[in-house]
Amino acid sequence: MIDRRQFLAAGAAASVLGFAGAGHAQSVDQLQLFVPAAPGGGWDQTARAIELVMRGEKLIGTAQITNVPGAGGAVGLPQFVGQWRNRPNAMMVAGMVMVGALIANKSPVKLAQTTPIARLTGEFLAVVVPAQSPFKTAKDMVDAMKADASKVPVAGGSAGGSDHILLGMIGKAAGVTPSKLNYIPYAGGGQALAALLGNQVAAGISGYGEFAEQVKAGKLRLLAISADKRQEGIDAPTLKESGVDVELFNWRGVFAPPGASEEQKKTLVSLVEKMAASSAWQEELKKRDWTGILLTGDAYAKFVAEENARIEAILKDLGLAA
Amino acid sequence: MDRMRIALPEAFIGLGTLAFAGLVLWQTEQIPVSPLYAKVGPRVLPYITTGGIALLGALLLWRGLRGGWQPEEEKEVAPDWRAVAVLTVALVANVTLIGPLGFSLASTILFVLVAYAFGDRHVVRNAGIGLVLALLAYFGFARTLGVNIGAGFLENLLGG
Amino acid sequence: MESLSSLAGGFAVALTPNNLMWCLVGTTLGTAIGVLPGLGPALTIALLLPITFKVDPTAAFILFAGIYYGAMYGGSTTSILLNTPGESATIVTAMEGNRMARSGRAGAALATSAIGSFVAGTVGTMGITFLAPVVVEFALKFGPAEYFSLMVLAFVTVSAVLGASAVRGLAALFLGFYLGMIGIDGQTGQPRFTFGILELLDGVNVIVVAVGLFAVGETLYVASRRYAGKDEIIPLRGSLYMTREEWSRSWKPWLRGTALGFPIGAMPAGGAEIPTFLSYWVEKRFSRKPEEFGTVGAIEGVAGPEAANNASAAGVLVPMLTLGLPTSATAAIMLSAFQSYGINPGPLLFQTQPALVWGLIASLYIANVVLLVLNLPLIGLWVRILKIPAPLLYAGILVFATIGTYGISQSPVDLILLYVLGGIGFVMRRYDFPTAPVIIGMILGPLAETEFRRAMSINNGDWTVFFTQPLSAALLAIAVLALLGPRLWDLATRRQHRGPEHVPGDA
Repeated sequence: MIDRRQFLAAGAAASVLGFAGAGHAQSVDQLQLFVPAAPGGGWDQTARAIELVMRGEKLIGTAQITNVPGAGGAVGLPQFVGQWRNRPNAMMVAGMVMVGALIANKSPVKLAQTTPIARLTGEFLAVVVPAQSPFKTAKDMVDAMKADASKVPVAGGSAGGSDHILLGMIGKAAGVTPSKLNYIPYAGGGQALAALLGNQVAAGISGYGEFAEQVKAGKLRLLAISADKRQEGIDAPTLKESGVDVELFNWRGVFAPPGASEEQKKTLVSLVEKMAASSAWQEELKKRDWTGILLTGDAYAKFVAEENARIEAILKDLGLAA
Repeated sequence: MDRMRIALPEAFIGLGTLAFAGLVLWQTEQIPVSPLYAKVGPRVLPYITTGGIALLGALLLWRGLRGGWQPEEEKEVAPDWRAVAVLTVALVANVTLIGPLGFSLASTILFVLVAYAFGDRHVVRNAGIGLVLALLAYFGFARTLGVNIGAGFLENLLGG
Repeated sequence: MESLSSLAGGFAVALTPNNLMWCLVGTTLGTAIGVLPGLGPALTIALLLPITFKVDPTAAFILFAGIYYGAMYGGSTTSILLNTPGESATIVTAMEGNRMARSGRAGAALATSAIGSFVAGTVGTMGITFLAPVVVEFALKFGPAEYFSLMVLAFVTVSAVLGASAVRGLAALFLGFYLGMIGIDGQTGQPRFTFGILELLDGVNVIVVAVGLFAVGETLYVASRRYAGKDEIIPLRGSLYMTREEWSRSWKPWLRGTALGFPIGAMPAGGAEIPTFLSYWVEKRFSRKPEEFGTVGAIEGVAGPEAANNASAAGVLVPMLTLGLPTSATAAIMLSAFQSYGINPGPLLFQTQPALVWGLIASLYIANVVLLVLNLPLIGLWVRILKIPAPLLYAGILVFATIGTYGISQSPVDLILLYVLGGIGFVMRRYDFPTAPVIIGMILGPLAETEFRRAMSINNGDWTVFFTQPLSAALLAIAVLALLGPRLWDLATRRQHRGPEHVPGDA
């Protein structure tokens, strides 16, 4: 009885308001996308970008997006695993945040129960400080943390989320006691940003895109990014270059329901690969400041398992997992 | 005025509030305190709340034992428990049926039962009104915003 | 002035027939979703985001702005008529507005809320036009310590809604604390009071609580007294719109509400609820007819909070447009719409996208006019809702409450909560507990807690920060004054026997 949990996406809204894009008759049938988060967030935007590109490239006929928000995906996943089993052409959009949320919320349902299809995008995180800050480099900040981490309040997103995890990794790499890390969680990106602009915290961690404009305007100073290598157009070193051996992507990917057949898996992998290769997809990535880090099939499954172990270890250090 | 007479309902409210304080205390003890850096932990406000509820519960109980506080005009009115019972049935029915039957049918039943509780016995007419109302809401949502409020076979039949 | 010529350019953009049409569609749709409890502007805009692929940015933002302002208007209608708030910012409106409706002044309540919304929306939009940089600088001065002190000040407002007994009022307030704490603790990520129910991890929606306590509780209560010989027939008294006296009682609250709503709305953690609480408290204090509050319904208690709510909606747009800071859910969604056009909202938005920004601001002025024109004639239609026979009216209210609650989350958990709270609301009503403190406690309790803990963490446990930061200390001083001032005033004037002269409003 899952049909009723549907937010029929784009089409319905557009058509009523009188500017329906003519529905192209398509060879491939309907794709069903499950988003375990509210409309508007990162996973939802990913799902909508997938729909847009796949339809534009005529890889599918229509797509239906179903949102089941709650607890970082921990509310949606049991439904996907339980009720979406045996659905053909169905995929869930999720990512690193869910891995963390499942561990922290002690979810009985695991991401490993699904069938990983592909990792699509990653967003590296950025470490920034207010323009007035005495920290000029990531090393300055880490040194201050080594001296007394509790005097370096760092703002970011929700407790246990990717921003918090990155701080935990930085602390670990620098040898700081995790319980000393002074992390100040904010509900929305905007509020953390306001705390930084108001010079109320020492530093901030979030997706690079959230800070990009403020950095350009000179209101924040970008110390380092969590990517594996320097990024074009971004004037900042990686954390590794700054002497902190940490690398983190807030990745997002797609998963098929549990027990998907080999054949079904192949169909979906090739569908996603075709999409990722299109110029329309590259265009979307650029527009949204996402980095394409495609990884499919078994390699992806292995990656998810590794991430799970890595994040669980960090959350344990931070005291968010038993 | 016999101020010393025990007002049972009010005394029960006081007792209930005290019991609630106990529940809050018990649940507060269950809140895990993580070693995360925090000068003030997650249990502080819960403890304050527990204390507040317990104190107020005691005060309410005391007032209840001394004659209560219910306004005179309320006391004079014997509640129509039958109507309240029908309403309760209506609400319980709605929660149980909205899943299997879908939004529109469950809402129609809710509509008829509520009207019945208020003394309106035009079941068939009300079912008609309720159904039209529910379907209007349903399709308004589905068409304008693409939000599916919960389709059952009826909605699917009508092309939800 | 430079802003004036830019604004003129904005009007040239917004007044094209095409964009006017979008404004009309947006305001209508916004009014409709504002009416529905649970369905807010944030979700609506999120669902309409795909539009950004089909129309140009200016049209899309004019549509979104119309929805945003429209929702603020619409939310008050059901609060007043059905005691069923559509938005959390209109919960306070329900308190006096519904009482007015019950005593036959629904038309006046709707009119003062529509005109007050217009006044506040327009003044607020003027604030965006001319004061944005100043306001945002002030707003950024607010850190956790200042927010906590602001919450303390807001708690004073509980005194306005305590009702006949402080004990019962405070019991309601603490129930609100409890409900507000359910869910994951934001600061440490630990679940509180969730009983292992995953749906509760994200907390309890304040709208579910308000609708449960107010609308469902009311329905049960009325049903329980149905045969008590007091069948409720709501008379319509006097003129449909406002009388001269009601006008003269409304205009100051509109302005005071605006003065509270705009700056607090512009604060990153200010929100729309706190200014409505503050406004309600201020109006009750300054009213020449305080005895009407909580009885037949005082028009000031509708005019002020409604203005505060709409002015805060304008305030929210200030940090969004000047700094690219999304400080509310709606603003966050609008920002992601900017991004899907490849526009990066930030401190440079005014320079890089002047046509878009000024077109948007101009369309806010237009949206306000459109909403007023749309809403005033509708009042005549709306008040007829009250003529529906009670059985059908209450049946409709319950169906309606279900739509909003179940429609969005599709979670039976929310529905069960709604009905259980309805039962609690019934008992509270019957035993003379006020329900408004529950809402205040639920909103302010966790907010105050969060800001307090943040302030303590940032300042390493130094609690003197609340008194040493000038802004925070000033707010605390105002709170003390607000609490004790009236009593001291009474003491001072008791000798003269004659009541004090009317004290002019703040700000």
